[in-house]
Parts: sequence; structure tokens; C-alpha cells
Amino acid sequence: MAVTEKVEGINKIKAWEGEIPLYARYTLGIAGERFFREIKDNARIMGTKCTRCNILYVPARLYCERCFSKLEDWIEVPPQGEVHTFTILHRDLEDNPLEKPLILAFVKLEGADGGFVHYLGEVEPDEVYIGMKVKAVFKPAEERKGEITDIKYFKPIGG
Amino acid sequence: MTAVKEFPGIYVKEEDFEEGKILYTMWYPKLRYAWDAGVAIGRYLAELKEGRIIGRKCRKCRRIMVPPRMFCEHCFRPTDEWVYLKDTGTVLTFSLCYVTWDMVRIKEPQIPAVIQIDGASRGMGIMHLLGEVDPQEVRVGMRVKAVWKPPEERTGAITDILYFKPLGK
Repeated sequence: MAVTEKVEGINKIKAWEGEIPLYARYTLGIAGERFFREIKDNARIMGTKCTRCNILYVPARLYCERCFSKLEDWIEVPPQGEVHTFTILHRDLEDNPLEKPLILAFVKLEGADGGFVHYLGEVEPDEVYIGMKVKAVFKPAEERKGEITDIKYFKPIGG
Repeated sequence: MTAVKEFPGIYVKEEDFEEGKILYTMWYPKLRYAWDAGVAIGRYLAELKEGRIIGRKCRKCRRIMVPPRMFCEHCFRPTDEWVYLKDTGTVLTFSLCYVTWDMVRIKEPQIPAVIQIDGASRGMGIMHLLGEVDPQEVRVGMRVKAVWKPPEERTGAITDILYFKPLGK
């Protein structure tokens, strides 16, 4: 005998809905603060270099994650690089279809051992390829807030 | 071991954020949930909307349970039938609360109580509030009756009963 009963008519209330009111403020930390300041104030991308491991971290870190050295060598990285991998998005986070597909890519920055996951712009999805040279398009200075979205997208160089 | 005099790190104040001295990102996760009320509580809530309290009976141990459940935890078998109960009952236990759930001091106490519902088995009750009563006059064993919201305001929630008040008042 199963514990089931056909639910009908009067039994319309089957779920209790609610919302957990939580929010968080994330501070960027010492290296993150400086990294995003440079983006906000100077539209510059900075990395930190571990001379021991010969790694240029972008975004900048405070410590080398391999040898735990403190990293104090800040180096400007050109705001350009190449598409390391990419994907085409046809739906948003709520699963609604997008009017125009978005292109999300990992852009490996020139001379650095890291990069950004960011959008590609001024390019059609079928034109993107791995290895494509792209550069960052920054928002105008007055619109920049010290966030990753201060970079609007990466666009093909010469495109 | 010596005690730590001051924690290392950088101390930040609210003003530092307001004045734009420190970069930050706000995160507002949309934490919505839907808790499946199940068959028994689903029906219980639906009946509250109609202004009725319903319980569930186990034919083996003959207990009538409220809030209702589809399984008898004593007999380890499914319960058998729905039973409408009265909206009157007896105070089994109560408390006078001078602090709200979110720690605000109040002068008029809230009086949460467990009320044994008439028609249900002994000890079977629901937790609710008492109202229209002098806190000093509340007693265990006091007879009470539900005060319902007007039908059009009921939503199918335990708060469709506003509170229980002394019977005969």
C-alpha cells in the first residue's frame, strides 16, 4: 500500500514559496584592489611576476600559487591577446532565448600566463576561431567602476 | 601562548566604501525556494483557507493527528482517513515572549502556545499565538477558540488563523 492520494480540487496548495534575503559585499583584496584600480583609472591591465617560477599572473595575485613567494613585481600587460577557447551562448541565465547570440571566450593575454573570461564583440559567431587576435575595448573613463565589465568586450585586432 | 593583541589585515569602515576608497562588488543572489508541502500539509493548508482544521486518522492506533501526516510514526504504516476537527482547543503549554524573533524588545508580550485541538487525540496540537487575553491570565488547560482572518484574506497558511482567544469571550 503506497502513501499516495490523488491530488485534486481542494488540494491546490502543494508548495510553500519563499525567498532567502541574503546579499554579500565582496572586497577585492590587496592585489585585486590595485589590479582593478589600474583598469578603472588608467585602462591598464597589470600582472604580477614570479621571477622564481617565471610566471606572469594576470589578473595580478599577491602570492605565487606555486612557490608561495610574495609577488611585488607589477608589470603592465598589453590589453590584447588571443582567443584560447570560446563558446556561443544562445540563452541567458534564466534560460530565455537571446535575440542575438553572445560569444564568451577565454582570452589569453599577450606575454602573460593568464587572461580573462570575457565577451567578444564586433565579430560574428561564425568568424571566431581559436588563436584569433583580439584586444580589449574599455568603457569611457567616467563609466568605469573598477569591475571586469569596465572592459566591454574584446574585439578582433584590425576588425 | 600569548593572546593576539590585534588581528592582522586591513580594517575597513563603512565610510571607506561610501567614499569610494575601496572597490567592491555587491552580490544579490536570488535565493528563491519552493518547499513541497506534500499531500498531508497541502490539504491541511488548503482546508485552513476554507476555515477548517483537518487531521488524519490511523485506524490501528486510533490516533487522530494534527497537523495531518500520511504515515503513522507509531504503527509504521500509512494513515487511513481525513477527519475534520473543531477550531477550539486547550492550551497545553505557552510562553510569554518579550522579544520578537528578530530580537526586538516589546512591552506587550507575544504569547505562543501549543493548542490541543478538539477532536484530535490527546497531546495532538498545533503551535500558534494567543490573543484577546491578559498575559497574566493565561493558564495551561485554558479553553480557546481560533480567530480566523476574513475568508477573502486567507491564503492557505497557518496565519489564516490570526490567534486563539479564550473560549466564551
